[in-house]
Amino acid sequence: MSRDNSVRAINERLARKVRREGQQDPNSPYANRFVGIANGKVVVIADSLTEVSRQLRKIEPDGSKCFIVDVAADYDRVYEV
Amino acid sequence: MSPVRWPLRNRRPMIAVTLPQAKGRRVRRLIADTGAGSDQAAFELLLREADCRGSDDPRAMGQVQLGGAYSGWFNVYSVEVRVPRLKFSESVAVVGVPNALDGFDGIACFKFLNRFHYGNFGDRDRFGLE
Repeated sequence: MSRDNSVRAINERLARKVRREGQQDPNSPYANRFVGIANGKVVVIADSLTEVSRQLRKIEPDGSKCFIVDVAADYDRVYEV
Repeated sequence: MSPVRWPLRNRRPMIAVTLPQAKGRRVRRLIADTGAGSDQAAFELLLREADCRGSDDPRAMGQVQLGGAYSGWFNVYSVEVRVPRLKFSESVAVVGVPNALDGFDGIACFKFLNRFHYGNFGDRDRFGLE
């Protein structure tokens, strides 16, 4: 099967790696932080979503080329609303 | 700072937020639902997908699985949200859903409400944040 090499797919693969590393290693620079990815690279690490969003917007204005990882968030459970 | 209070909508608690990046009308009326999500949820608000993508540069944050009023997998975005009278202006994790329910524009979940003091502040016909 061919690998999806779109920017979004590359960003999402890196996001999964960042989240895994940040959750498994408390000494990781990603642990409990917000990580901004643009064009397949980590470009900013910050303590708040506001800060990472602000910096990411300056680095890459095209949001479709960006991804933000909330490393502490649990994306594997079902949330009741 | 004194509390900001909004009248109940359909006899249900409501808050109003501003989406500065939205095109056209920027104010969204959200049902204040302390039972939606938890203080550790991966999101704070539910808005229409169109509102999340309304700005030219939505920032994706992944997908979450919801149960209850909404069921299935939905995108999460970083969206700038303001409550001007509280001087609140921050990027917030927002779940994009296909449509809003019950005459509201979305849901303010517990994690968002819990940023503030919330309640009726002595007026049973209003809901407020402080």
